[in-house]
Amino acid sequence: MFTSKISRRTSLKLAATAFGATLAGASGIRFAYAESKDVLVVGLDMSDMNSFDPGHQFTYSAPIVMVAAYEPLVTMDAGDYETVHPKLAKSWERVDDGSALLFHLRDDVKFHSGNPLTADDVKFTFERLINLKDNPSELAANIDRIEVVDPLTVKIVMKDKNQPLLNLLVGPTFVIADSKTLKAHGGTSGPDADKTDKATGWLDSNSAGTGPYVIRQWERNSQVVLDRNNAYWRDSAPFKRIVLKHIPESATQLLTIENGDIDAALNLTPTQLDDLKAKEGIVLVEGVSLDYVYMTLTSGAGLNPALAKKEARQAIAHAINYDAMIKGLMGGYATRPASFIPNGIGGATEALTKEIGYQYDPERARALLAEAGLSDGFSFELYYGEASVAGTTYPLIAQTIKSDLAKVGITANLSPVDQATARDKYRAGELPSVLTFWNPDGPEAWTWASASVQRVAKRVRWDVPPEVTELVTKAGSAATTAEANKWYRKYMEALVDNANYLILFQPIYRVATRTTIKGWRLTAAGWQVDLYDVKPA
Amino acid sequence: MLFGYIVKRLVAACLMSLAATLVIFLIAHMVPTDPIRAMLGDLAASNPDTVARFRAQWGLDRPLHEQYLVFLKGLFNGDLGVSIKTRRGVVDDILQYAPATLELATVAALMTVVIGIPFGVVAAVFRDRWVDHMARLVSLIGVAAPTFWLAFLALALFYGGLKIAPSPGRLNLTDIAPPTVTGMFTIDSIIVGDWDSFRAALAHLIMPSAVLAASTLGLITRTMRSSMLESLGQDYVRVARAKGLPERSVIMWHAVPNALIPVVTLGGLAYAELLAGTVMTETIFAWPGLGRYTYQSATALDFPAILGITLVVAVVYLIMNLIVDISYVFLDPRAIRQ
Repeated sequence: MFTSKISRRTSLKLAATAFGATLAGASGIRFAYAESKDVLVVGLDMSDMNSFDPGHQFTYSAPIVMVAAYEPLVTMDAGDYETVHPKLAKSWERVDDGSALLFHLRDDVKFHSGNPLTADDVKFTFERLINLKDNPSELAANIDRIEVVDPLTVKIVMKDKNQPLLNLLVGPTFVIADSKTLKAHGGTSGPDADKTDKATGWLDSNSAGTGPYVIRQWERNSQVVLDRNNAYWRDSAPFKRIVLKHIPESATQLLTIENGDIDAALNLTPTQLDDLKAKEGIVLVEGVSLDYVYMTLTSGAGLNPALAKKEARQAIAHAINYDAMIKGLMGGYATRPASFIPNGIGGATEALTKEIGYQYDPERARALLAEAGLSDGFSFELYYGEASVAGTTYPLIAQTIKSDLAKVGITANLSPVDQATARDKYRAGELPSVLTFWNPDGPEAWTWASASVQRVAKRVRWDVPPEVTELVTKAGSAATTAEANKWYRKYMEALVDNANYLILFQPIYRVATRTTIKGWRLTAAGWQVDLYDVKPA
Repeated sequence: MLFGYIVKRLVAACLMSLAATLVIFLIAHMVPTDPIRAMLGDLAASNPDTVARFRAQWGLDRPLHEQYLVFLKGLFNGDLGVSIKTRRGVVDDILQYAPATLELATVAALMTVVIGIPFGVVAAVFRDRWVDHMARLVSLIGVAAPTFWLAFLALALFYGGLKIAPSPGRLNLTDIAPPTVTGMFTIDSIIVGDWDSFRAALAHLIMPSAVLAASTLGLITRTMRSSMLESLGQDYVRVARAKGLPERSVIMWHAVPNALIPVVTLGGLAYAELLAGTVMTETIFAWPGLGRYTYQSATALDFPAILGITLVVAVVYLIMNLIVDISYVFLDPRAIRQ
């Protein structure tokens, strides 16, 4: 007859074996960690990572890897987004009546392959970036052509000399790759590169850069392994190996850093971070970002006739208790800019916000409503994606706003949708009001300002007066940062008056690190952290 | 005759899988969101030429029926298209993530069977004694406790508190995986004789599989128990006892095989569901499997990936069903005569 039984005895034996294997495995692990002091393990959420090809990658988490394996011509220090420092270029100047940038490259730099860095590599990399016509190519829109002057000198000619370019070149999009290696793996840079280039597959598991680390392996949704580049042109990196471990759940990151199995956790929530403040062996690193959460208000009467009135929008702006929101939802770990340019760039600071930005003033809000002929208040649809953002969630922010506005007689009807729909409809200009997030294009104030009077203005149906556009142009073509910031101030005053964009808060990110490492500095310039700086304590 | 039956069922399975993809295709396209515009960066998304170019790349500018035909054509060439989010072939994505989920679900299923069936038998045989009550309590907890919570609890207790369980993930945090043959680390490490990796892979599998198994365990235990109770009340058991057979033989050779039939049905479906529904466990245990991939594709409205996953899940369900139906032939000879 048919035999199916697994006897109880056998099942007990199996359970014992399994338990034994667990213990055996566990003891093996303890052993391994004790000796790996020259390996840095970082836990973060890498779900958005989809490529390490500088011509294609445009995600939030990939730049950490890009900046470890590749380098740009110029760079910025953490916390200072107005000074540009040399990196692969040792000096530069503006030439041709300001319409081009001339870079003088270092002569002692070699790629991971051993090939020396030359101006041809810069030309190839940038042309490939432009001709692949993918997401990051938009950042190079102002580059007309690249000319090789001599093997160590390269000229970048701009299309519009009044549009700043230099600050953008520090970003992970503009890292320099080894043209010979890329070509050997099917890379092309001609006008049809988007159809002929085949190098992306290779670039996703290897690196053709000059950086202190080399990409050894990428297991999608699992980990990235970086090995030290022993022929780096500066001092060798402190760690033999870096493992970036994908840990999507913040609670899991918390457990692993408490257990000492990772050296840094990047996605902890404010509550979890506050709990770790007093913990032995863990230190929190803070950094003011250039990101922010903002709320749009349309000028389109077709979407909402009340919001189309400037005074109504200003009323909303003065009815929100920003400080309470920052304290309550962000634990105080946020700052607030006056308008579309975040604090830390373009002359925007907390002091300036106090001077020209919105202040919580319900009386003023009511007066403005009366001015608009809306003393009985009005209602509007507030859209947002059901998602977490910067350690809090859009639903919480929306509810806070709703209750603040109710106090002055304005009704915000909460309209949650999924993230993709919220983003799509917002970009299509179909929403009267939305809560969303601004991710910097690059550490250049002009990108925020120009966006706010061009593509974002379309989304809120704002007919931008030429005077305001003129302010942005003047700022872009200013000869010095100080002069540009003067124009930006006037521009911010105009936007504050117009009240289409209410910047709610600009997060101060915190990362938990173990005291076994030091040198972790958070930057808002686009790559979160420069792993080269991190060393064993 | 059996062969003809299997062939007929396989053909039906193919047709039903295709039907499933058609339904999902229609539903996905009813969502009023453009996944391309949602995927593109802010600058690119505001450039209508760029948006048009990317939409054309994924064929989204063509009429619906043409898009589905393109999908079918690709399918018959073994190509499921390119994922909008990962920019990689959907086939490559699925082949990358499926082994991890397969490993996890299989070990969970084994645990369920190895623990659940004996537990159910014992609970029925010693009905209303403490073993029975314990079995029912454990089943209830397994079914009622949310997987997410159970997963985190297990991790916090055994890894965080007691420190006897390994770190989350498929291997130790600084390990590199064995060379890929099947993608399942246990098998791959045996193939190259890497016993360290084998031990690590197995150790890392225990907890997430146990958490996953918890809910199906409850189901299987209870079903086995009630099925056994019914079986034990049947005539043939009375006859067997009357023949003078020892009680152990009566249970093992007469009651259990007949009681297994409904459990096998349930077990097959449970295994398929394990394969399809591991998102929560995979998130907590940082397990790079199909569950997470499915969730990410759904939220990004990634059409090619969604269709590919639908196809895979449908095929798995239908094949499991087929295996279960075929197993009846061996479990219950009466099935063939019918």
